[in-house]
Amino acid sequence: MDEINKIFEEVKGQGRNVLTYEESRKVMELAGVPLNKIEVGKNLDECIAKANEIGYPVVLKVISEDIIHKTEAGGVKVGIKSDSELKKAYEEMMESVTTYHPGAKIDGFSIEEMVSGVEVLVGQTTDPQFGKMIAFGIGGIFVEVYKDVSFRLIPISENDVEEMYCEIKGRKMLEGFRGMPALKMNDLKSLLLNLSKLVEIHPEIKEMDLNPVMVTKDGLKAIDARIILE
Amino acid sequence: MSTDLGIKALFEPNSVAIIGATPTPDKIGNRIMDNIVHYLVGETDKSKGFQGKIFPVHPKAEEIMGLKAYKSILDVSDEVDQAIIVVPPQFVISVLHECGKKGVKAAVIITAGFGETGKKDAEQEIVKIAQSYNMRIVGPNCLGIYNPHIQFNGTFADEAPQKGTLAFISQSGALCISAILHSNKVGIGYSHFISIGNKADVDDADLLEYFADDYKTKCIGLYVESMPDGRKFFEEAKKITWRQPIVVLKSGRTSYGAAAASSHTGSISTQDASYEAAFKQAGVYRAKEWFELFDVAQAFSTQLPPDGEKIAILSNAGGIIVISADKAADVGLKLATLSEETIAKINEVCPLTWSKQNPVDIIGDADHVRFRKVLQILVDAPEVDGVCPLFNPGSRAVPDKVADAIYQVSTTTKKPIVCAFVGMDHLEAFKWLNYKGIPTLPSAERAVIAMKALVDRGKFLRRENVDSLTKKYEGCK
Repeated sequence: MDEINKIFEEVKGQGRNVLTYEESRKVMELAGVPLNKIEVGKNLDECIAKANEIGYPVVLKVISEDIIHKTEAGGVKVGIKSDSELKKAYEEMMESVTTYHPGAKIDGFSIEEMVSGVEVLVGQTTDPQFGKMIAFGIGGIFVEVYKDVSFRLIPISENDVEEMYCEIKGRKMLEGFRGMPALKMNDLKSLLLNLSKLVEIHPEIKEMDLNPVMVTKDGLKAIDARIILE
Repeated sequence: MSTDLGIKALFEPNSVAIIGATPTPDKIGNRIMDNIVHYLVGETDKSKGFQGKIFPVHPKAEEIMGLKAYKSILDVSDEVDQAIIVVPPQFVISVLHECGKKGVKAAVIITAGFGETGKKDAEQEIVKIAQSYNMRIVGPNCLGIYNPHIQFNGTFADEAPQKGTLAFISQSGALCISAILHSNKVGIGYSHFISIGNKADVDDADLLEYFADDYKTKCIGLYVESMPDGRKFFEEAKKITWRQPIVVLKSGRTSYGAAAASSHTGSISTQDASYEAAFKQAGVYRAKEWFELFDVAQAFSTQLPPDGEKIAILSNAGGIIVISADKAADVGLKLATLSEETIAKINEVCPLTWSKQNPVDIIGDADHVRFRKVLQILVDAPEVDGVCPLFNPGSRAVPDKVADAIYQVSTTTKKPIVCAFVGMDHLEAFKWLNYKGIPTLPSAERAVIAMKALVDRGKFLRRENVDSLTKKYEGCK
């Protein structure tokens, strides 16, 4: 049994059909979906080492089962650009977290690659008449406003990906608009074809969301993932 | 090749039984008899009607329209390919069992009062019968089937279509009449025409392969309100669109339309985006309006798609030139840039005031000779992939002669020609061109849309022929 099946079996075994963020990321990674890098550090030195591995800017987040609302506890710091900024953020975080939640057990810190660019959406749904469908379009918070999304039935071909892209009304935004990184057709093809294949092999996937996927100068990077099983 | 003998029996029966046939004039069972025997109610010439064996079935009558009547289909000793069922709904199931026992290949249930009125169980029963006897069943709740090429009219309608190359499937029986009236008026002919009703057993997807393999059929048109098994249609359509064009009007695009569709046919409409995606992906042309369905089907069934995307427009009216240029821009139809050589040739046959560019305004005083000469220059020009001659009546050009000029030029080229005779005042010339296989429409805009459909079909076919792995992405066109 492959690793993806193992994750799905575990989730189902626990009586769930919604994967956690971590589980969804793991499945996406196994399916060949490019994600922003995330590393874990136990202490400041490890965090600095990991941040240098990933490359600045990064996001620092506390990992603790005791702290549910990370932001309120001061457990999330974004836009960290250097070792010294990371040191400052780390120290502030330790102080505020322990003040907010004295005695909380801190398991470590996650250091996450911070990516920027135009946001696109890649997703998948199950239609009662047509079955598994894949979606691509303008992502982020404007999805519901513009509804600029194109659908195809799974499995898809490279031609289908090109046509999906050409159907997007706001595609000018993805073509290097105002100096922003341009979307590379080959990146989009490999992402959509990988997902199409994932769903073909695992039809128990009911819905998937990668929103947003960032169009960066180094290619596409998904920074949020969500998978729901049948 | 299609091996489903049940589907074949729907369109090419050698023998047909009409269960519920009656000698009483004006009853549906009498009209179907009339249509089978004479092709159309009101005709008296049996040589115009169906030439296969006809078996009327009626509980008491000895004879209907000079044909021996039977008490039950089981009393018929010959083989029966198709049974048309017009008995009241409570008798349909038992009649179907008799058909099954008789070994009928296909049954058409005209009778209404099933799924569309909420009786889903009865429809399930119909499906079971179809499976247990290996008999295909059309309907219930339909108008029937026409095959004009074998003079077969198994409907109760007052109208019948002409012979032609369009195979048409309609989920609405009432709209079939509108389709036939429109087609007979403008000169569109049919290879097959089926009112498919509630699609309990035979659905749209089941017919595609048969139509694709039929040599008389050049295009498949569909009016659809719902597709319970959309994936099946997609898979079947995808297999054939490279060799047979499909044009579909899927109504219920909007939430208003979708609500109307649910109450109309008793089936639930889904999100339009899924249909849109499925049609595009399968290479199916989706018409948004009723007449567009026939305009594009007519263009597909008569013209070859162009090798390129550059179109020339020609008219004797300045207004039409501007309107067509606007519409071309709206729908993304690319206009050819005329070469110096082409311009020089047109200079020789036009007054100095002609537009000197595409769209080509040949000026209001043009006669049919100028029309023919310029059209010939345009179809011969290597930079032009197809031509829309848009004729405006009321000037020096005589419509019949312009129609003839267009036809003469069309015989010299493989490039597509889509015409407009604006105003539809000269119906005879209009109809004549359509029968000659040159799609002719009543407005410049509709001609532009039909030509754009041909250009897109050409692109689709070239795409299908190119190995996608070796092809480089060249941007959106």
